[in-house]
Amino acid sequence: MSLAEKIKVLIVDDQVTSRLLLGDALQQLGFKQITAAGDGEQGMKIMAQNPHHLVISDFNMPKMDGLGLLQAVRSNPATKKAAFIILTAQGDRALVQKAAALGANNVLAKPFTIEKMKAAIEAVFGALK
Amino acid sequence: MSMEAAGKRVHVIQGEFKVVNDPNIVLSTILGSCVAACMRDPVAGVGGMNHFLLPGSATSPSSGGDATRYGVHLMELLINGLLKQGARRDRLEAKIFGGARTIARFSNVGEQNAAFARQFLMDEGIRIVGESTGGEHGRKLEYWPFSGRARQYALTGVEAQRAIQMDQRPAPVPKPAESSIEFF
Repeated sequence: MSLAEKIKVLIVDDQVTSRLLLGDALQQLGFKQITAAGDGEQGMKIMAQNPHHLVISDFNMPKMDGLGLLQAVRSNPATKKAAFIILTAQGDRALVQKAAALGANNVLAKPFTIEKMKAAIEAVFGALK
Repeated sequence: MSMEAAGKRVHVIQGEFKVVNDPNIVLSTILGSCVAACMRDPVAGVGGMNHFLLPGSATSPSSGGDATRYGVHLMELLINGLLKQGARRDRLEAKIFGGARTIARFSNVGEQNAAFARQFLMDEGIRIVGESTGGEHGRKLEYWPFSGRARQYALTGVEAQRAIQMDQRPAPVPKPAESSIEFF
């Protein structure tokens, strides 16, 4: 089993299309265990019941945004060690600094390439293949 | 002259989006094979427009690829802008315009762009309440985000073609390597 196959990934984005695109990209990178949620609240619910190794979350979402989810994930003992990557359509420095302060592993600006996503994941988990 | 026609005009160029909540503003653009998605929340009284031209490879939002991601990005920017000003996703309604086959060598890029917008809106569950796409002529488009009214003029003749070409300067797909922020 490859490293990618072992990693459970949770995608959190309010846009159906973005979830599809990211899911496709992750499958191309060899990931098999992929779950998706439509907002931070739903994402945290899934994490609490079934902690995933990696969360890739959009920033701008209704109910609970990406930073809110990051905070919730980091303050729950069962999920606090998960790797967390934030995606943002409007990349500004304030957001990046906040995300870093809250313990995000990376912030990627949309639109990202598969290579960028791969590099961001490998920076946390090591080479996927 | 109606009240609407007397309003302030804001032009949207390729690769851009504008969101407004002022009933006196009319958004305008010039479209050749480019597509403009006009969206609004009639209850919140906020609306906007984007304007994009994707390379031919972006046929459907779920087909992957950098062009597709760029298209999805421009749609997301518009939607995020609307939500920020009080719109609700479930109340959004959209109109799409453009995607003409203005220059033979561009083959059916225009139609593919229109198909992309249509598919994206369907996937996101955003109602399409009006559409005028395809054809052989460019369009001058005006959209009143507050009322949702849209008006278009077919562009023919040399001046019109020049205007379209000016508006369709090289596709703005950003260099991905520089668009990412990685600090840590």
